[in-house]
Amino acid sequence: MHFEAAASWGGYVAGPPRGTVVGDPVERIERLASENAVVIFSVSTCCMCHAIKRLFCGMGVNPTVHELDEDPRGKDLERALMRLLGSASVVPVVFIGGKLVGTMDRVMACHINGTLVPLLKEAGALWL
Amino acid sequence: MASHRIGELGLSESGPSSHHHIPYGVLHGINTSASSLINQGSAFDFGELEEAIVLHGVKGGNDESKASLFTGRPAATLEMFPSWPMRFQQTPRGGSKSGGESTDSALSSKTEPPFEAESPISKKASCSDHQAFFDLQQLRQEMASDAPRTASTQNQSAAKSPQEKRKGAGSTSEKPLDAKTLRRLAQNREAARKSRLRKKAYVQQLESSRLKLTQLEQELQRARSQGLFVDCGGVGSNVSSAGAAMFDMEYARWLEEEQRLMGELRNGLQAPLSDSDMRVMVDGYLSHYDDIFRLKAVTAKSDVFHLINGMWTSQAERCFLWIGGFRPSDLITMLIQQLEPLAEQQIMGMYGLRHSSQQAEEALSQGLEQLQQSLVDTIAGGPVVDGVQQMVVAMGKLANLEGFVRQADNLRQQTLHQLCRLLTVRQAARCFIVIGEYYARLRALSSLWASRPRETLISDDNSCQTTTEMQIVQHSQNHFSSF
Repeated sequence: MHFEAAASWGGYVAGPPRGTVVGDPVERIERLASENAVVIFSVSTCCMCHAIKRLFCGMGVNPTVHELDEDPRGKDLERALMRLLGSASVVPVVFIGGKLVGTMDRVMACHINGTLVPLLKEAGALWL
Repeated sequence: MASHRIGELGLSESGPSSHHHIPYGVLHGINTSASSLINQGSAFDFGELEEAIVLHGVKGGNDESKASLFTGRPAATLEMFPSWPMRFQQTPRGGSKSGGESTDSALSSKTEPPFEAESPISKKASCSDHQAFFDLQQLRQEMASDAPRTASTQNQSAAKSPQEKRKGAGSTSEKPLDAKTLRRLAQNREAARKSRLRKKAYVQQLESSRLKLTQLEQELQRARSQGLFVDCGGVGSNVSSAGAAMFDMEYARWLEEEQRLMGELRNGLQAPLSDSDMRVMVDGYLSHYDDIFRLKAVTAKSDVFHLINGMWTSQAERCFLWIGGFRPSDLITMLIQQLEPLAEQQIMGMYGLRHSSQQAEEALSQGLEQLQQSLVDTIAGGPVVDGVQQMVVAMGKLANLEGFVRQADNLRQQTLHQLCRLLTVRQAARCFIVIGEYYARLRALSSLWASRPRETLISDDNSCQTTTEMQIVQHSQNHFSSF
């Protein structure tokens, strides 16, 4: 019942129901990140986030997106991400296979130097 | 006091002295020092003249004019004859009886509307009238005094003996002033005034032209330093911010350095240098490109529009502009053709690189499209009441542009680095030479295009135009070198 009541945000796979979550934001991020092969933390109105989503979709990957502005505790998550990344510009940030890849900068660099696709394949997000 | 004055000046008392009372009374109100010069027993010669001048002078509110006389008008217009002393700088006639001064004023009276003229024609209290008025005083003084005059050579009347002047003055005054003389004198006055105004206008025009010229020269300088031909429409309408101007300058310098590095690479390939030496040169070239991307990142913060609209590039380059620079996949396509022969593995790598770049370019383009759409919605929609808020939101969205330009540059930089990894060192050197050459040709094309003869020119000149075009093409031949 709880699960059914949990809203799915914008058609993306929802995280665990709000009520049952405990623990600090960083833990939550880590947990969210490891739940799916490709996890993107985003803001629904951010255009760069849109770009990164298009990038993955264009490659045939189906990422899990968490919109921080639609999460009731988005602020906490944002702060935690800031600490993790060490920069003010937090979104979009990508986790692949539970590991932090980085923001748009890093993702594009990885894609150009050819390390992104193997990473995706390894995480099971891409099949040949 | 008046009688005392009379004695001093030694003027005769002949003539209708009754006439003088009117002007004197008026004069007293205007300027005591001036009036002190007017003696009751002044010669008949000036009486009527003086009256007419004074009366007309009084009409137009003399005080201010007189005050302006004393304070001195802007010198520029009056310095028409700089060698002749400026009357206004002299102290009021009130005390001065020095021969020199009186001579000066007498002389200057010759240039300005002559003293004899009454001013029925000029109704307003023009300064010239008052000049004439004062000249009158001076002349009377001069005539009366026996002090030797230090004649200036500028005026032939000064060379003449004082007697002649007196005589001349006397002759005019002995009979009633004829209309022809009066008209001539008035015309002289008018001409002098018009001349002054013309000169003033001319000087102002010159100065504004000078400013415009300096401005144009600066624009030309800036455009030339980028190797661009200045097209007439662009100059003057180019409004660049400080950040943009600085970037243009730095970019021009970067281009020069690039040409130099290209030359070194060419020599290195020909020499031929060892692989390790070539590696050093190739790395140097890469870091040179890193420099421009760094510079662009800084400029994106201050003036992102300058980068996006591509005014810093040549026209042909601007054609192919993608988010403030070249499109990496297009460059790779060109390189795949030009760098043949390549090993199989390398070709595959290049195609793979092109593919990845295309995907990234597509993603960025779509992100930018969404930004534009969002901006349009913000600007177009919303109630008018919320205008300021609307602008604030729009500004926030515009700020994202910087991010896109930076990501696009990042893509370009990563692509170049990856190219170097895919290719051998010699191939990488050739790669950079090809790239440099390619853009140099695009710039040359832009120059040629900008200077091509237009159809609107007169057909007479057709032959000349063709020649010019040929000359331009020949001149540009050295841009093109095989590699």
